[in-house]
Amino acid sequence: MAVNKLMTLKEAVSRHIKDGDTIYYGGFQIMVPMAITHEIIRQKKKDLTTVESSTDVGGLDIMVGAGCVKEIHSAWIMNWYVKAPYAVRRAFQSKMTKRYDLSNFAATSALIAGFMGVPFIPVRGNIGTDMLKHNPVDLTVVKDPFTGEEITAVRAWNADVAIIHAQVADTLGNVMSWGTRGVTDEFGAMGAKRGVIVTAEEIVEPEVIRADPDRTVVPYFKTLAVVHCPWGAHPSACRGYYGLDIRFSQYQGKYERNADLLPKFLDEWVYGCEDHSAYIKKYIQKFGQEGLDRLKPTLGFKPKYQVDYGYHDPGVWKGVPQYTDEYINA
Amino acid sequence: MHATNYKLTELMVVRCAKEIKDNEVVFAGVGLPLVVVSFAMLTHAPNMILFTEGGSIRATAPPGLAITVDDPALFCNGDATFGMLSTMAALQRGEVDVAFIGGAQIDKYGNINSTGVGDWTRPESFTYFAGSGGANDMATSGKRVLAIMPQDPKKFVETVDYLTTPGFLDGPGARERAGMIGGGPDVVVSTMGVYKFDAKTCEMYLAEYFPGQSVEKVKANCSFALNVSPDVRETTPPTEKEIAVLRNIDPTGFYLG
Repeated sequence: MAVNKLMTLKEAVSRHIKDGDTIYYGGFQIMVPMAITHEIIRQKKKDLTTVESSTDVGGLDIMVGAGCVKEIHSAWIMNWYVKAPYAVRRAFQSKMTKRYDLSNFAATSALIAGFMGVPFIPVRGNIGTDMLKHNPVDLTVVKDPFTGEEITAVRAWNADVAIIHAQVADTLGNVMSWGTRGVTDEFGAMGAKRGVIVTAEEIVEPEVIRADPDRTVVPYFKTLAVVHCPWGAHPSACRGYYGLDIRFSQYQGKYERNADLLPKFLDEWVYGCEDHSAYIKKYIQKFGQEGLDRLKPTLGFKPKYQVDYGYHDPGVWKGVPQYTDEYINA
Repeated sequence: MHATNYKLTELMVVRCAKEIKDNEVVFAGVGLPLVVVSFAMLTHAPNMILFTEGGSIRATAPPGLAITVDDPALFCNGDATFGMLSTMAALQRGEVDVAFIGGAQIDKYGNINSTGVGDWTRPESFTYFAGSGGANDMATSGKRVLAIMPQDPKKFVETVDYLTTPGFLDGPGARERAGMIGGGPDVVVSTMGVYKFDAKTCEMYLAEYFPGQSVEKVKANCSFALNVSPDVRETTPPTEKEIAVLRNIDPTGFYLG
């Protein structure tokens, strides 16, 4: 049934994220769901567990710094532009947040197992390292039932809710993404038990997505909420819409670095902004329209081959006799 | 003509690139490896195939500096962009020739730590870095491992604080016993020199020291008893032309400084 799932960021997060939830945290070094991250912090969600492969630009770092996260399962957490995840480091040291490490492909495989609906999946990495020793929650070694050889097994991850950013969605919840198909978002999102919250640069009619369904990473039945949210991945990049805001990530990183400074950043840029468009307005106020314009990509990397999915109507066989040798010889 | 004015990072990148052969499949991690692979593709390895964790598979150097492994630059004119599954699955299938990674700490068997320093079991003592990322997967299954990292006595250590990424583990035969399909560490390029690994003992040895360094200086910046090749020599500096190509890849000095 076609239900309009378009809502505000505030509604999406308050309706669909509960304290104690396990969240698939979308994106990678780009396409980080920053607008949803800010809203989770604004609504002071608590005791969240996050699962994802790798994440950059300090999105998860500020969510941990704001006290929303009790457990992290990840291969790599960073603000690459200051070369450390400072709030995560502090939260680990104070035992506020538990961290469960595994390799990138182990994490991706955990999401794929969740996507496939199987309890675990074998991977080649992690064996022989301290990740196996310190993360028995996600990793163990099993015997290949066919050869008897040892191999790492990773527990399947099925989050309660997935949060992702994409270029395009429709009001029904179909999500379109291009350039790496969201890296791991299609698996993390499809494996989520309750469904997906998506912010999108643009909202289009369902017909637009149905005219090019190869680009759909999440079909509408998995989607809980669609939020129209331009610049929703800022300061990370969104392919075709904007590049990495290196200077802002460095700026944010200066605040992440220090436990006393981070609340000041959150007050100004998160709590002090009613929603994401207020955040972008503030950005323009502080860094000028030229600051935002600088992030616009060089365009023109468009498909050169015009795809045609070409429908063939089986009705053409109506009245056509069976192909037989008699038919040929007639 | 050899350049007289170059940065240490530029020397590291050019020297590291020489370890990449034409036609090889190279899986590059984030950081300087992204600069090295672009440089190799634009110079002596035009038929190199570039893989990254973000899922980019490409036969040509990206149009500009790729800062991240899922950088938009990697997807402009890429050959295939299926996402992380496709490139990392190729590692597991044994199709990657060179796994090219960074790291924070390394021991004589080439085991690498990129998780953090301190005692993990006492969290208050542990300083977290980023974590494995794809380094573990790359070093487990890539046919050979190329590593680029800074050097000081706290980074070249007897035992890594946290074993994130396997080198030769505890010595000869250990990788095979663990069922790893990749061959393990091949070359390490540090801020001071170039290291290789003894085929029998699996131990690291100094093969080259950078201009301005010496065997003694390198040893003073290594906490384990460092083996030195009898043929140890000074690294050949980059040429003017190489530096020009390199600076064109990273014109703002994001990685090169």
